[in-house]
Amino acid sequence: MPILESIQRPERWSVPFSTEMTDADIDRLLEVKPLCDLDPTQFRGKFTLRGILQNDARLVRYRKGDIIVRQGDWGNSAFFVISGSVRVDLQATTSLPGEVLGRQKVRRKSAWQVLAQLWNFRREPEVRDVASYREDARIGSRGSGEQTRIYLQDISAVLDTYRTAVIKAGQFFGENAALGRTPRQATVFADQPTELLEIRWQGLRDLMRRDTGIRDHIDQVFRERGLEWFLLNTPIFQHLDKSEVAQLVNQAEFETHGQYDWAGSFKRLARHGADTNLQHEPLIAEEGHHPNGVVIVRSGLARLSRRHEHGHRTVGYLTPGHIYGLDEIVDGWLGKSPKPLKNSLRAIGMATVIIIPTKLIESLLLEKTGRRNISRRTATGGDPLIKRPVIDTTRINPDFVEFLVQNRYVNGTATMLIDMDRCTRCDDCVRACAATHDNNPRFLRNGPIQNNIMVANACMHCEDPVCMIECPTGAIHRQVEEGQVVINDQTCIGCGACASNCPYDAIRIVEVRHKRGDFIRDDRKHAPIVKATKCDLCADQWTGPACQNACPHDALVRMEMRDVQKLTEWYTR
Amino acid sequence: MKRLAARRTRNLTILIVAVFAFLGCSALATIALRDTARLSGWLLLTLIIFLAAYNLRKKLPFLPLGSSAAWLQFHIYTGFFTAVAFGIHIAWRIPRGPFEIVLAALYLTVFASGVVGLFLSRSLARRLTTRGDEVMFERIPVYRRQLQHEVETQVLAFLTASDSSAVAQFYADRLEPFFSRTRHFWQHLAQSNRPCVALLNEISSYDRYLNADEREAMQRLAKQVRKKDDLDYQFALQATLKYWLFGHVPLTYALLAFAVFHLLLVSAFSGGGR
Repeated sequence: MPILESIQRPERWSVPFSTEMTDADIDRLLEVKPLCDLDPTQFRGKFTLRGILQNDARLVRYRKGDIIVRQGDWGNSAFFVISGSVRVDLQATTSLPGEVLGRQKVRRKSAWQVLAQLWNFRREPEVRDVASYREDARIGSRGSGEQTRIYLQDISAVLDTYRTAVIKAGQFFGENAALGRTPRQATVFADQPTELLEIRWQGLRDLMRRDTGIRDHIDQVFRERGLEWFLLNTPIFQHLDKSEVAQLVNQAEFETHGQYDWAGSFKRLARHGADTNLQHEPLIAEEGHHPNGVVIVRSGLARLSRRHEHGHRTVGYLTPGHIYGLDEIVDGWLGKSPKPLKNSLRAIGMATVIIIPTKLIESLLLEKTGRRNISRRTATGGDPLIKRPVIDTTRINPDFVEFLVQNRYVNGTATMLIDMDRCTRCDDCVRACAATHDNNPRFLRNGPIQNNIMVANACMHCEDPVCMIECPTGAIHRQVEEGQVVINDQTCIGCGACASNCPYDAIRIVEVRHKRGDFIRDDRKHAPIVKATKCDLCADQWTGPACQNACPHDALVRMEMRDVQKLTEWYTR
Repeated sequence: MKRLAARRTRNLTILIVAVFAFLGCSALATIALRDTARLSGWLLLTLIIFLAAYNLRKKLPFLPLGSSAAWLQFHIYTGFFTAVAFGIHIAWRIPRGPFEIVLAALYLTVFASGVVGLFLSRSLARRLTTRGDEVMFERIPVYRRQLQHEVETQVLAFLTASDSSAVAQFYADRLEPFFSRTRHFWQHLAQSNRPCVALLNEISSYDRYLNADEREAMQRLAKQVRKKDDLDYQFALQATLKYWLFGHVPLTYALLAFAVFHLLLVSAFSGGGR
């Protein structure tokens, strides 16, 4: 008879945000405004107010100059100032440079440095220049592990040089990025000893659900700071005037679907079949229903599927900025009778969407554009409503689309695809990668294959880079100009948070060596120093990605998966 | 038209135009009593240097010298063009002196190995996706040893458990040579699976001497034989794709050395004639 092992079913609060929140802390928090104004009776069932504070929040203390969040970071929490104050960099004229924030702007190598790669070839793997790890005078760091803090050395000079605004006790910040899963919009640092309540997004969501005050506040902040900018940058709304955009901002709905920490659940789901995965993808809109409005993906990814026999066939995918439901609304408006949705829309991992009500679309866009112009949909006219991009994957084998969506490779902005019908396995790509990275190839020419296309094990520079969440020093970050996700080797502490968060296992933690070949060790515990490494898309090279450039047979490509047209052209070439 | 087909059409058109232009120029030069051999010789040497430079380009991936794919296209079509330039240079006759014969033979071998390489890289790459799992070439010996170890463990376990030596005997006589090294290289290259089918037939015809347990063990062995055969197939094709360059590249350097020497000889003995 087999022995059955039983465990308590894991629940949301099985792993609290912090184990250090005490009852006394919670009592103290409940005396602070606006938390003291919350009505505990609104928090019924399992998720009590005390429970949320106990499990979804933590108290963090910062010293003067400590950086709390950096512009461009990804984070899953918002902050509430309990005492002290923080400064937000307004970036009015110039923002705090990356070097000051513990980042590294990847600079193209000089002509001499490019040539020097011919002879500066290390025999040992992962050799580093120890001198580069000496402290940078402009930045400092204290603490260790996840408690590492990067701080500004000369805060008064920063205040003199850059325009900042004060956020005082009793105010929130960081809620837009936490709820919308978008990069932090500004850098925030402590300008005096400060105590903050950091609330992870699930807790913030519950507070919003149960307290209208907090909900209204966050909703207003989102509409003011994030929504207007987003809508103005959406092509179909670009020709609207200010009052019309204001109407959109006021009436738009904002929804979040899926799990914030989808990377972990994805690794578990990957062991199961396609059907299981589809069941775990929350439905945003269902095929056959009438559209309530146009759905615009603000962040994350979504799957378009259609019923097929007893299952669902994936017919495409949407990435940020893509629109769903407009065709049906237009067809309904032209035909004067409502048209049902042709496809279902599901969040892959996590997606945040903005819904613009149908009536508003009809009055602001359709009536204004006119019936005659809209019926010329295929024309390449100047109106973005007419020439909006069509997400058409019909020329790609449906199995391949299913494979890309199922494995979430559509998340990549530079996914490495190899056409195995053309690849001669010469490994020129691997050698080129090694030659441009000091003899350390940053990818494996290996990976799952579908329809003779391999998705190689290389960083995809994701649209939704879950690896960046939880990096305690901000070492892993996205380059502002070209969007590559890179790691600053100087500020990487080797904690491995990025590697364990990456759903594609594209980040490796390596022990670094001295030029002589021996491992560089920590001066106290004598343990080897480790660093995270991955593909940097040859950001410092003149040639662009060396792997793609080195492939003699046009077999390898770094694909922006958002560009379905380019993918189709490559697939059907 | 699809992108790759369009590229092929464009490059072929350029090649044909270039060939006819070259043939025309050569005919005009002959009519004008110019030394066409000298002109075609210089052109040929320049082109061969450019063709050989592709190997250098591969070793310098960090220099902005254009994509390797563009270089390969240039390499292929220029390679074909040199065949015409070579024909004009030797006036479509077999050279007479021993040195010239060696030089011509070297050129033809390099040219032929290039054409074979082109054929192999276009055909074998596609065939590799049709059988067995995708494996890295360097890992194939490791997988082969693992497979052999699995099979031997299985055979020994059966021998200990059943007190019958039939399976072990068959393994030692027929299968051990098959599992111990890479087999049937040329047959795999020729896309023939006759040796594997023959071995599987031997396994199934051996059934008549076995009991039920032994038959089951032999069926397991048959599965491993198919796996090993797939591994051999991958090895044969990948090795060919890798190693043809070991002929093409050294021969190119030899050709280059002989061509430069040929130029020196011609210059030394031309007596200033034009």
